[in-house]
Amino acid sequence: MEYTMDNPILSVRGLNIKFNLRGRTLHAIRDVGLDLYKGESLAIVGESGSGKSVFVKSFMGLLDANGWVDSGEILYNGENLTKFTTEKQWLTVRGKQIAMVLQDPMTSLNPLKTIGAQIMEAIELHQGLHGEAARKEMISVLVDVGINDPERRAKQYPHEFSGGMRQRVVIAIAVACRPQILICDEPTTALDVTIQAQILGLIRNLKEKYNLTTIYITHDLGVVANVADRIAVMYAGDIVEIGLCEEVFYQPKHPYTWALLSSLPQLGIKGEPLYSIHGTPPNLFNEVKGDAFAPRNPQALKIDFVKRPPYFEVSPTHKARTWLLDPRAPKIDPPEAVRKLATEGVKGYA
Amino acid sequence: MLKYSLKRLSSSLLTLLIIVSVVFILLRQMPIEGYFDNFDKLDQASINAKLNQLGLNDPIPVQLWNFLKGVMNGDLGTSARYSVGAPITGLIAKKAPISIKLGVMSMALSLLMGIPLGTAMARNKGKFWDKIGTMYIVFINAVPAAVYYIFIQMYGTSALGISMLFDLNDPITWILPVFSMALGNTAYYAMWLRRYMVDEMNKDYVRLARAKGVSGQNIMMKHVLRNAFVPMIQYIPTSLLYTVCGSIYIESLYSIPGMGGLLVDVIGRQDNPMVQAIVMIYSCIGIVGLLMGDLLMGMIDPRISFVKKEGAR
Repeated sequence: MEYTMDNPILSVRGLNIKFNLRGRTLHAIRDVGLDLYKGESLAIVGESGSGKSVFVKSFMGLLDANGWVDSGEILYNGENLTKFTTEKQWLTVRGKQIAMVLQDPMTSLNPLKTIGAQIMEAIELHQGLHGEAARKEMISVLVDVGINDPERRAKQYPHEFSGGMRQRVVIAIAVACRPQILICDEPTTALDVTIQAQILGLIRNLKEKYNLTTIYITHDLGVVANVADRIAVMYAGDIVEIGLCEEVFYQPKHPYTWALLSSLPQLGIKGEPLYSIHGTPPNLFNEVKGDAFAPRNPQALKIDFVKRPPYFEVSPTHKARTWLLDPRAPKIDPPEAVRKLATEGVKGYA
Repeated sequence: MLKYSLKRLSSSLLTLLIIVSVVFILLRQMPIEGYFDNFDKLDQASINAKLNQLGLNDPIPVQLWNFLKGVMNGDLGTSARYSVGAPITGLIAKKAPISIKLGVMSMALSLLMGIPLGTAMARNKGKFWDKIGTMYIVFINAVPAAVYYIFIQMYGTSALGISMLFDLNDPITWILPVFSMALGNTAYYAMWLRRYMVDEMNKDYVRLARAKGVSGQNIMMKHVLRNAFVPMIQYIPTSLLYTVCGSIYIESLYSIPGMGGLLVDVIGRQDNPMVQAIVMIYSCIGIVGLLMGDLLMGMIDPRISFVKKEGAR
C-alpha cells in the first residue's frame, strides 16, 4: 500500500519517559516527536539502550512497572494514549489496534498450549469469532504465514517447531489480532541468517495483504535497507535524524548517523580494522547537556556541548538534530566511507 | 507411555521390596523379650516352643519369604502383642478408613488454602499479602509442628467449646485435626506456587500475551497459574508424606482411632508383625505418590515424552 505523508495514523508529541531505578530517575525518552503515516514502513535504528523498545512499548502501555510517561502526547485516532490509566482502556488498543512481534520466538510462546490455541486466543479476543469459525480463521492465518499442513501443525506445541517456524507463529498471532499497526521488535535478531530474509519477506507480504502500518525496531541496517520506507535514528533517548530510506543512507546529516553508517562492515577496507565509535552512550541518569553525541564526536562544535540542537529541515521528509545544519556552522564533510556509500552504494544494501 | 509406566511401576515394586526387607530384618534384631508377657518366669523350653510356634527360629530369609508369601495372599500376619493372635489385616481394615478420610480432607483443605494464598502472594509480590504469606510460611517451617498442634488443640477446643479428644460420630471434632494437618502443606504449596508463578510471570510469553491484548486476570488464570502447576506436581509425593507424618502425631494427640495412632501404639508395645505391616503400607503410600507425580507430569507437560524419538536431541 502506498502511503502519503499527510495522514498520520499515530502522532507522538514531546514524549518524555522516565524510569525509577533504585531511587534514581532515568530519563529514557527525551522529548521525542514522531508522525507515523498510514501504510508506511518505519524503521527505528539505534544501539542497545537508545530507547527504541521503550519508545514503542509506550504506545501499548507496556512499560515496566517502574517506568512512566512523564509528559507528552501519543495521539491515536484522536485519543491521547498517555491519558490511559486503566487496563480496560489499554485493552482497546493492545492487539486490537497495535500488535507486536517480539524478538525471541523461542520464549515468546506459551510452551504448554498448542499453537492453534494461542492463535485462537487472539482471534476470539479481537475478531469476535468463536468455535468452528475461529478455528477456520486460525487455519487460514497459518496458511498466510506459510506453515505447511496447518491442520496438523495447529495441534502441535511450540517445542515441535524450529525457531523460524515459531517466529511465523508469533507473526500469525499478531496478524490474527487484525491490528492497524504492527510493531516488530527486532524480529530477526534471534534467527538464523538464512531465515531472516524469509521472515522479513513474510512481514512485507502480510503488510500488503492486511493493510498494516509497520514499525521495525532494529540495530541491523541490512534489515532496514530491505524493509523500510523511512528511517528514524535514535540515540540516547532521542530521534537525532529521520528521513526517507534513501535520504538517511545517501545524504545523512547527523554525525551519529555518519558514525553508524561508517561502522557497516561492508564499508570496511580489506586489511584495515573495522570502524567503531569511541566511548559509550551518555548516562541517562544524569541530565544530558547539548548534543548527546558530542562527547563521542571528534569533530563536535563548541555549541554542541552547550545547547541542544533543534531539528533542521533538510527536505520536507528529512530532518536532523545537529548544529551542523545551522547556516552559521562551519562546513564539515561526512567521513569518506559515508561519501563512498552515497556515490557507489553497497552490495546488498539499498 | 505404557512401556514407561510399566518400567516405572516395576522399579517402584523393587523399591518397596527393599524397604520391606530392610525393615523386616531390622525388626528381627529386636530382643525376643518383646514377644512375651512374662518372659522372666518362663523356662528355656517354653520360650523356644513359643518362638517355634511364631516361626521366629527359622533363618531370617525363610521368615522373610514366608512373610512375603503371606502378603501376596493378602495376609499380613497376626498381631503379637496389641491384640494377641488377631489377623493384622482385620485390625488395619478397621482403622485405615478413618486415616484415609482425615488425610484426604486435610490435603483437599491445604490445596484450597494454599493455591489462593500462593496466587495472591505472586500477584502482590513484595507487597502486603506477600509479606503476610511469607511470615506464615516462615512460621510453619521454623516452629516444630508439635508446638502449634498442641496450641491449636488447647485453644481451639476451648474456643469452640468442644472436647479435647476426637469423636468419630461428632463432625465438629474433625475440624481441628484436619485443619492442623493442613497447615504444613498449605505453607508448602503456597511457597512453591508463588515461586513458580513469579518465574512464569517474568517469561516472554506473558509479555506477548499482554501485547496481544489478554487481560491481566486471564493471563494469570489461563497462562501463569496453569503453567506454574506443572512443576508443582513434583511436590505431590512430598506433600503426601507430610500428611502421613502429620497424621501419625495428630492421631495420637487427639486419640483418633486411625492407623497413625496405631503405629505409635504398636511400636511402644514392640508388636513387630504390626509394625512391619503398617510400615509397609506407609511405604506403599509414599511410592504411589512418587509414581503418580512422575506419570502426571508426563501427562500434563507436552514437552516430556516417554518415547525415544528418532534422532532425538
